[in-house]
Amino acid sequence: MTTGTMHPLVRDYLDRLRRAGRRLPDRQRTELVAEIEAHLEEAVPPGASDAEVLTALDRLGEPEDIVAAEQPSAPVDDARGAHEWAAIFLLLFGGFLAGVGWLVGLILLCSSRAWTTTDKLLGALVVPGGLALPFVLFAIAGTASGERCVSVNNGPEQCTGPGAGSGVQLLAVALIVVLTVAPIATAVHLARRAR
Amino acid sequence: MVALGEGAISQLRRGVLEFCVLALLRDEERYGFEIVRTLTEIDGMVTTEGTLYPLLGRLRRDGAVETTWRESPAGPPRRYYRLTPAGDAALVAFSHEWGRFRDAVDTLLERGAVR
Repeated sequence: MTTGTMHPLVRDYLDRLRRAGRRLPDRQRTELVAEIEAHLEEAVPPGASDAEVLTALDRLGEPEDIVAAEQPSAPVDDARGAHEWAAIFLLLFGGFLAGVGWLVGLILLCSSRAWTTTDKLLGALVVPGGLALPFVLFAIAGTASGERCVSVNNGPEQCTGPGAGSGVQLLAVALIVVLTVAPIATAVHLARRAR
Repeated sequence: MVALGEGAISQLRRGVLEFCVLALLRDEERYGFEIVRTLTEIDGMVTTEGTLYPLLGRLRRDGAVETTWRESPAGPPRRYYRLTPAGDAALVAFSHEWGRFRDAVDTLLERGAVR
Protein backbone atom coordinates (compact mmCIF):
# COMPACT_ATOMS: atom_id res chain seq x y z
CA MET A 1 0.00 0.00 0.00
CA THR A 2 2.99 2.27 0.31
CA THR A 3 2.88 4.43 -2.76
CA GLY A 4 6.56 5.23 -2.44
CA THR A 5 7.70 1.73 -3.30
CA MET A 6 5.12 1.24 -6.05
CA HIS A 7 6.49 0.58 -9.51
CA PRO A 8 5.74 3.58 -11.78
CA LEU A 9 4.03 1.34 -14.34
CA VAL A 10 1.77 -0.05 -11.62
CA ARG A 11 0.97 3.46 -10.43
CA ASP A 12 0.07 4.53 -13.99
CA TYR A 13 -2.11 1.47 -14.40
CA LEU A 14 -4.00 2.16 -11.16
CA ASP A 15 -4.47 5.81 -12.20
CA ARG A 16 -5.97 4.64 -15.48
CA LEU A 17 -8.25 2.28 -13.58
CA ARG A 18 -9.44 5.09 -11.29
CA ARG A 19 -10.13 7.32 -14.28
CA ALA A 20 -11.96 4.57 -16.15
CA GLY A 21 -13.95 3.78 -13.03
CA ARG A 22 -15.07 7.29 -12.15
CA ARG A 23 -18.63 6.54 -13.30
CA LEU A 24 -18.94 3.66 -10.88
CA PRO A 25 -20.48 4.30 -7.47
CA ASP A 26 -17.73 5.50 -5.12
CA ARG A 27 -17.70 2.40 -2.93
CA GLN A 28 -17.62 0.03 -5.86
CA ARG A 29 -14.70 1.89 -7.45
CA THR A 30 -12.72 2.02 -4.20
CA GLU A 31 -13.19 -1.72 -3.67
CA LEU A 32 -12.26 -2.56 -7.24
CA VAL A 33 -9.09 -0.46 -7.11
CA ALA A 34 -8.15 -2.00 -3.73
CA GLU A 35 -8.57 -5.53 -5.13
CA ILE A 36 -6.51 -4.82 -8.24
CA GLU A 37 -3.86 -3.11 -6.13
CA ALA A 38 -3.66 -6.13 -3.82
CA HIS A 39 -3.50 -8.39 -6.88
CA LEU A 40 -0.56 -6.45 -8.27
CA GLU A 41 1.25 -6.56 -4.95
CA GLU A 42 1.02 -10.37 -5.10
CA ALA A 43 1.80 -10.62 -8.80
CA VAL A 44 4.70 -8.16 -8.91
CA PRO A 45 7.52 -9.07 -6.52
CA PRO A 46 9.46 -6.16 -4.99
CA GLY A 47 12.21 -5.02 -7.33
CA ALA A 48 10.55 -6.63 -10.37
CA SER A 49 11.85 -5.67 -13.80
CA ASP A 50 9.76 -3.60 -16.21
CA ALA A 51 9.19 -6.72 -18.31
CA GLU A 52 7.81 -8.63 -15.33
CA VAL A 53 5.50 -5.74 -14.45
CA LEU A 54 4.27 -5.46 -18.04
CA THR A 55 3.53 -9.19 -18.14
CA ALA A 56 1.49 -8.93 -14.94
CA LEU A 57 -0.42 -5.93 -16.34
CA ASP A 58 -1.06 -7.73 -19.63
CA ARG A 59 -2.56 -10.64 -17.77
CA LEU A 60 -4.86 -8.28 -15.89
CA GLY A 61 -6.16 -6.72 -19.11
CA GLU A 62 -7.15 -3.14 -19.95
CA PRO A 63 -8.52 -1.04 -17.06
CA GLU A 64 -11.42 -0.01 -19.29
CA ASP A 65 -12.39 -3.67 -19.81
CA ILE A 66 -12.28 -4.33 -16.08
CA VAL A 67 -14.59 -1.38 -15.44
CA ALA A 68 -16.87 -2.53 -18.27
CA ALA A 69 -17.18 -5.88 -16.48
CA GLU A 70 -18.54 -3.99 -13.45
CA GLN A 71 -21.46 -2.67 -15.48
CA PRO A 72 -22.90 -5.54 -17.53
CA SER A 73 -25.95 -3.48 -18.54
CA ALA A 74 -24.39 -0.98 -20.93
CA PRO A 75 -27.56 -0.04 -22.92
CA VAL A 76 -28.58 2.36 -20.12
CA ASP A 77 -25.85 4.66 -21.43
CA ASP A 78 -28.01 6.22 -24.15
CA ALA A 79 -30.73 7.38 -21.77
CA ARG A 80 -28.03 8.77 -19.55
CA GLY A 81 -26.44 10.63 -22.43
CA ALA A 82 -29.65 12.58 -23.10
CA HIS A 83 -29.92 13.52 -19.44
CA GLU A 84 -26.35 14.82 -19.38
CA TRP A 85 -26.59 16.73 -22.65
CA ALA A 86 -29.77 18.43 -21.46
CA ALA A 87 -27.99 19.43 -18.24
CA ILE A 88 -25.04 20.94 -20.13
CA PHE A 89 -27.28 22.76 -22.62
CA LEU A 90 -29.49 24.25 -19.89
CA LEU A 91 -26.52 25.28 -17.74
CA LEU A 92 -25.18 27.20 -20.74
CA PHE A 93 -28.32 28.67 -22.30
CA GLY A 94 -31.03 28.01 -19.70
CA GLY A 95 -30.45 31.45 -18.17
CA PHE A 96 -32.12 33.03 -21.18
CA LEU A 97 -35.36 31.21 -20.34
CA ALA A 98 -36.19 33.65 -17.53
CA GLY A 99 -33.42 32.02 -15.49
CA VAL A 100 -35.60 28.99 -14.78
CA GLY A 101 -33.89 26.94 -17.49
CA TRP A 102 -30.59 27.26 -15.69
CA LEU A 103 -32.15 25.97 -12.46
CA VAL A 104 -33.54 22.96 -14.32
CA GLY A 105 -30.04 22.37 -15.71
CA LEU A 106 -28.69 22.53 -12.17
CA ILE A 107 -31.17 19.90 -11.00
CA LEU A 108 -30.27 17.64 -13.94
CA LEU A 109 -26.57 18.13 -13.16
CA CYS A 110 -26.99 17.17 -9.52
CA SER A 111 -29.25 14.18 -10.19
CA SER A 112 -26.91 12.68 -12.79
CA ARG A 113 -24.58 9.86 -11.81
CA ALA A 114 -22.16 10.58 -14.63
CA TRP A 115 -20.30 13.26 -12.69
CA THR A 116 -18.33 13.37 -9.48
CA THR A 117 -19.18 15.80 -6.69
CA THR A 118 -16.29 18.04 -7.75
CA ASP A 119 -17.61 18.21 -11.31
CA LYS A 120 -21.06 19.06 -10.02
CA LEU A 121 -19.74 21.86 -7.82
CA LEU A 122 -17.77 23.22 -10.75
CA GLY A 123 -20.83 23.09 -12.99
CA ALA A 124 -22.95 24.85 -10.36
CA LEU A 125 -20.48 27.61 -9.49
CA VAL A 126 -18.91 28.44 -12.87
CA VAL A 127 -20.90 30.50 -13.72
CA PRO A 128 -24.40 30.73 -12.20
CA GLY A 129 -26.79 31.70 -14.97
CA GLY A 130 -24.48 30.46 -17.70
CA LEU A 131 -24.12 32.65 -20.76
CA ALA A 132 -27.13 34.77 -19.76
CA LEU A 133 -25.08 36.56 -17.11
CA PRO A 134 -22.38 38.06 -19.40
CA PHE A 135 -25.12 38.80 -21.94
CA VAL A 136 -27.08 40.84 -19.42
CA LEU A 137 -23.90 42.58 -18.24
CA PHE A 138 -23.04 43.41 -21.82
CA ALA A 139 -26.45 44.92 -22.37
CA ILE A 140 -26.16 47.02 -19.20
CA ALA A 141 -22.64 48.15 -20.07
CA GLY A 142 -23.83 49.06 -23.57
CA THR A 143 -26.54 51.42 -22.33
CA ALA A 144 -24.54 52.78 -19.41
CA SER A 145 -21.49 53.78 -21.39
CA GLY A 146 -23.59 55.57 -23.97
CA GLU A 147 -20.83 57.96 -24.89
CA ARG A 148 -22.06 61.06 -26.63
CA CYS A 149 -19.76 63.27 -28.60
CA VAL A 150 -21.03 66.65 -29.60
CA SER A 151 -19.37 69.14 -31.78
CA VAL A 152 -20.23 72.66 -30.64
CA ASN A 153 -19.95 75.40 -33.28
CA ASN A 154 -17.58 73.38 -35.43
CA GLY A 155 -15.17 73.35 -32.51
CA PRO A 156 -13.34 70.28 -31.21
CA GLU A 157 -15.57 67.37 -30.28
CA GLN A 158 -16.66 67.21 -26.70
CA CYS A 159 -17.23 63.77 -25.30
CA THR A 160 -19.34 63.14 -22.25
CA GLY A 161 -20.32 60.09 -20.28
CA PRO A 162 -18.57 57.41 -18.26
CA GLY A 163 -16.62 56.37 -21.37
CA ALA A 164 -13.98 58.76 -20.15
CA GLY A 165 -12.71 56.17 -17.72
CA SER A 166 -11.36 53.83 -20.40
CA GLY A 167 -9.64 51.72 -17.73
CA VAL A 168 -12.98 50.88 -16.18
CA GLN A 169 -14.37 50.06 -19.59
CA LEU A 170 -11.47 47.73 -20.34
CA LEU A 171 -12.08 46.00 -17.03
CA ALA A 172 -15.75 45.56 -17.87
CA VAL A 173 -14.89 44.02 -21.25
CA ALA A 174 -12.40 41.68 -19.62
CA LEU A 175 -15.02 40.65 -17.07
CA ILE A 176 -17.56 39.94 -19.78
CA VAL A 177 -15.01 37.89 -21.74
CA VAL A 178 -14.10 35.86 -18.66
CA LEU A 179 -17.78 35.32 -17.81
CA THR A 180 -18.38 34.12 -21.38
CA VAL A 181 -15.37 31.83 -21.64
CA ALA A 182 -15.73 30.27 -18.17
CA PRO A 183 -19.17 28.68 -18.68
CA ILE A 184 -18.15 27.42 -22.13
CA ALA A 185 -14.97 25.90 -20.73
CA THR A 186 -16.97 24.33 -17.89
CA ALA A 187 -19.50 22.92 -20.37
CA VAL A 188 -16.68 21.37 -22.42
CA HIS A 189 -15.17 19.94 -19.25
CA LEU A 190 -18.50 18.45 -18.16
CA ALA A 191 -19.10 16.98 -21.62
CA ARG A 192 -15.70 15.28 -21.53
CA ARG A 193 -16.02 14.00 -17.98
CA ALA A 194 -19.46 12.51 -18.57
CA ARG A 195 -18.25 10.18 -21.33
CA MET B 1 -24.53 -19.50 -41.38
CA VAL B 2 -24.09 -18.57 -37.75
CA ALA B 3 -20.69 -17.12 -37.01
CA LEU B 4 -19.14 -18.52 -33.86
CA GLY B 5 -17.38 -15.31 -33.00
CA GLU B 6 -15.50 -14.30 -29.89
CA GLY B 7 -18.77 -12.78 -28.71
CA ALA B 8 -20.66 -16.07 -28.52
CA ILE B 9 -17.88 -17.89 -26.71
CA SER B 10 -17.19 -15.11 -24.24
CA GLN B 11 -20.91 -14.82 -23.53
CA LEU B 12 -21.09 -18.53 -22.81
CA ARG B 13 -18.00 -18.33 -20.64
CA ARG B 14 -19.28 -15.32 -18.74
CA GLY B 15 -22.52 -17.10 -17.88
CA VAL B 16 -20.75 -20.14 -16.48
CA LEU B 17 -17.76 -18.46 -14.87
CA GLU B 18 -19.41 -17.37 -11.65
CA PHE B 19 -20.33 -20.97 -10.90
CA CYS B 20 -16.74 -22.02 -11.54
CA VAL B 21 -15.71 -19.49 -8.89
CA LEU B 22 -18.30 -20.91 -6.49
CA ALA B 23 -17.06 -24.42 -7.25
CA LEU B 24 -13.48 -23.37 -6.38
CA LEU B 25 -14.74 -22.21 -3.00
CA ARG B 26 -16.85 -25.29 -2.25
CA ASP B 27 -14.35 -26.96 0.04
CA GLU B 28 -12.09 -24.16 1.19
CA GLU B 29 -11.84 -20.41 1.43
CA ARG B 30 -9.37 -18.72 -0.89
CA TYR B 31 -8.06 -15.19 -1.36
CA GLY B 32 -8.68 -13.13 -4.50
CA PHE B 33 -5.31 -13.55 -6.16
CA GLU B 34 -5.41 -17.30 -5.57
CA ILE B 35 -8.88 -17.62 -7.14
CA VAL B 36 -7.86 -15.53 -10.13
CA ARG B 37 -4.58 -17.37 -10.75
CA THR B 38 -6.19 -20.80 -10.37
CA LEU B 39 -8.87 -19.96 -12.93
CA THR B 40 -6.52 -18.42 -15.47
CA GLU B 41 -4.21 -21.40 -15.30
CA ILE B 42 -7.00 -23.70 -16.51
CA ASP B 43 -6.82 -23.60 -20.30
CA GLY B 44 -9.75 -21.92 -22.04
CA MET B 45 -11.38 -20.61 -18.87
CA VAL B 46 -10.46 -16.95 -18.55
CA THR B 47 -8.59 -14.63 -20.87
CA THR B 48 -7.97 -11.62 -18.64
CA GLU B 49 -7.48 -11.75 -14.89
CA GLY B 50 -8.76 -8.28 -14.12
CA THR B 51 -12.36 -8.90 -15.16
CA LEU B 52 -12.68 -11.57 -12.46
CA TYR B 53 -12.60 -8.97 -9.69
CA PRO B 54 -15.87 -7.34 -10.76
CA LEU B 55 -17.35 -10.84 -10.80
CA LEU B 56 -16.14 -11.50 -7.25
CA GLY B 57 -17.62 -8.18 -6.16
CA ARG B 58 -20.96 -9.08 -7.72
CA LEU B 59 -21.02 -12.49 -5.98
CA ARG B 60 -20.34 -10.72 -2.70
CA ARG B 61 -23.12 -8.17 -3.25
CA ASP B 62 -25.50 -10.98 -4.22
CA GLY B 63 -24.69 -12.79 -0.99
CA ALA B 64 -23.25 -15.91 -2.66
CA VAL B 65 -19.88 -15.40 -0.96
CA GLU B 66 -18.65 -13.55 2.11
CA THR B 67 -15.20 -12.18 2.76
CA THR B 68 -12.75 -11.66 5.59
CA TRP B 69 -9.48 -9.75 5.55
CA ARG B 70 -6.56 -11.68 6.99
CA GLU B 71 -2.92 -10.94 7.50
CA SER B 72 -0.68 -12.76 5.06
CA PRO B 73 2.60 -14.39 6.09
CA ALA B 74 4.41 -11.78 3.98
CA GLY B 75 3.06 -8.71 2.29
CA PRO B 76 -0.29 -6.91 2.47
CA PRO B 77 -3.46 -8.36 4.09
CA ARG B 78 -5.53 -10.66 1.90
CA ARG B 79 -9.25 -10.76 1.35
CA TYR B 80 -10.49 -14.32 1.74
CA TYR B 81 -13.68 -15.48 0.01
CA ARG B 82 -15.97 -18.14 1.47
CA LEU B 83 -19.17 -19.70 0.17
CA THR B 84 -22.41 -18.73 1.97
CA PRO B 85 -25.31 -21.19 2.33
CA ALA B 86 -27.05 -19.29 -0.49
CA GLY B 87 -23.96 -19.62 -2.69
CA ASP B 88 -23.75 -23.29 -1.90
CA ALA B 89 -27.41 -23.80 -2.86
CA ALA B 90 -26.85 -21.91 -6.13
CA LEU B 91 -23.87 -24.12 -6.90
CA VAL B 92 -25.81 -27.33 -6.25
CA ALA B 93 -28.67 -26.15 -8.47
CA PHE B 94 -26.26 -25.15 -11.23
CA SER B 95 -24.36 -28.45 -11.09
CA HIS B 96 -27.62 -30.28 -11.65
CA GLU B 97 -28.75 -28.07 -14.53
CA TRP B 98 -25.31 -28.05 -16.10
CA GLY B 99 -25.24 -31.84 -16.18
CA ARG B 100 -28.54 -31.94 -18.07
CA PHE B 101 -27.54 -29.14 -20.39
CA ARG B 102 -24.16 -30.67 -21.20
CA ASP B 103 -25.71 -34.07 -21.90
CA ALA B 104 -28.34 -32.51 -24.13
CA VAL B 105 -25.77 -30.55 -26.14
CA ASP B 106 -23.46 -33.56 -26.39
CA THR B 107 -26.31 -35.74 -27.63
CA LEU B 108 -27.15 -33.26 -30.36
CA LEU B 109 -23.53 -32.74 -31.38
CA GLU B 110 -22.83 -36.47 -31.54
CA ARG B 111 -26.02 -37.30 -33.41
CA GLY B 112 -25.01 -34.69 -35.95
CA ALA B 113 -21.59 -36.29 -36.28
CA VAL B 114 -23.03 -39.80 -36.90
CA ARG B 115 -25.03 -38.71 -39.93
